[in-house]
Amino acid sequence: MMDSLAAVLYLILFPGFVFLLVFGLFCEWVDRKVYARLQNRVGPPLFQPFADLIKLLGKEDIIPKNVDSILFQYTPLIAFAAVMTPIIFIPIWSATALFPLQGDLIIALYLLSIPALALFVIGWSSVSLYPLLGGFRAATMLFGYEVPFILACLSCGIIAGSWRISDITAYLEMYPASMLIVIPGFVIALLALEAKLERTPFDIPQAETEIVGGVLTEYSGKKLAVMRLMDDIRMVVGSSLIAAVFLGGFIVSYGSISWAGTDLTNVINFLLYIAKSLMIVFLLAVIRTLFARIRIDQMLDFSWKYLAMGGIFQLFIAVMYIGILHG
Amino acid sequence: MDLLKWARMKSPWICHFNTGGCNACDIEVVAVLTPRFDVERFGVLLKGSPRHADVLVVTGPVTQQSEARLKRVYEQMAEPKFVLAVGVCTCSGGVFHGCYNARGGVDTVIPVDVYIGGCPPRPSEIIDGVVHVLNKIAGGGLAEKSSVNEGQAVQ
Repeated sequence: MMDSLAAVLYLILFPGFVFLLVFGLFCEWVDRKVYARLQNRVGPPLFQPFADLIKLLGKEDIIPKNVDSILFQYTPLIAFAAVMTPIIFIPIWSATALFPLQGDLIIALYLLSIPALALFVIGWSSVSLYPLLGGFRAATMLFGYEVPFILACLSCGIIAGSWRISDITAYLEMYPASMLIVIPGFVIALLALEAKLERTPFDIPQAETEIVGGVLTEYSGKKLAVMRLMDDIRMVVGSSLIAAVFLGGFIVSYGSISWAGTDLTNVINFLLYIAKSLMIVFLLAVIRTLFARIRIDQMLDFSWKYLAMGGIFQLFIAVMYIGILHG
Repeated sequence: MDLLKWARMKSPWICHFNTGGCNACDIEVVAVLTPRFDVERFGVLLKGSPRHADVLVVTGPVTQQSEARLKRVYEQMAEPKFVLAVGVCTCSGGVFHGCYNARGGVDTVIPVDVYIGGCPPRPSEIIDGVVHVLNKIAGGGLAEKSSVNEGQAVQ
């Protein structure tokens, strides 16, 4: 009884909904502020994402007459639930996640690619030209970035000998030098995450100079707020996943740190987790500032010629490393 | 409800629509969004889709061609919505007043909240107009909207 109550509290409060909401809005602010400062602007104030969210929740919610109303209304909730779930597999305050499973790296990767499919369904169901084009583009891009992302993450799994995110983190802590081997994978995963989040060099599905608002053109009010929040949480969960899988070594789990008689290990680990995720959000914002949008064919060319090849190279390095170590 | 009013004041998203102007006002509207003026400080974002926007920024006299489109764009926006008429052509028809193909200003087609004169207005005047819209939100002045005045239309 107490266990299930604690589990519900975990899911609602701490690494669950409330924490992801606050940290997601904070990361959106960090992203927009870094973007503005790099363009020599002042940028939005701290409460800006929160004000946007409240305003959208209070606006009229239009459902156009011709749309498929069930798909149009409930697909955002499915995408929202799918991006929040992987946080229970990701280590936050210790080397062990909240509910680790055997092979949860694969589950997390699958759950993170559901939003792209949801965007396609939204584009299809909102019977309008621009969302349809955006949905096609989102689905086409899925074939580009998914393979390099999975190859890069799986090479960490091969090095650690487990497809459990907690085991990968623990292995990287035990052998911090092995983080140097996965640096190419880190770069590949970062670029693939940028494409997964549909941000500027790869914001082809939302290109407002070509297709108005992209997939979300017909959305307004609460459903738009849910989709924006989904984007923020996807950014947080994606960067947490990369932080756990590639930068897992920066964590304290063997031995403990205490100060004035209090055990501070979990606090230090949590702060390290925040620092790692924010660093990845910062890198994503820098990439967004540096590059202009590319065409969809250039994106597919880039991801298959360079990112996927790099992923195979990273896999090769990982296999060689395991062979030298254990062979 | 005060939280909602605060949020509305802090995040006015705009959608820009040209109803057949000479592009000078459009260039000034775009200048507002550049790093020099940086309206993202106040939460202003330019949105492509009218369904996402709170403030419709209209430039140019309403030509017969664009009248139906302007109405549709306005009707696609979600409540509460505001209209900002930028430039003298948008306010009254300007030099196109009485022209065979133009209506006399935007308020002959849709209700307008704030008028900004000038040919074209400076970016600082456009920001001032947005501030007036925000004051209207703060005062809850949704009823002060000018009514659509069909009699002004010049045929």
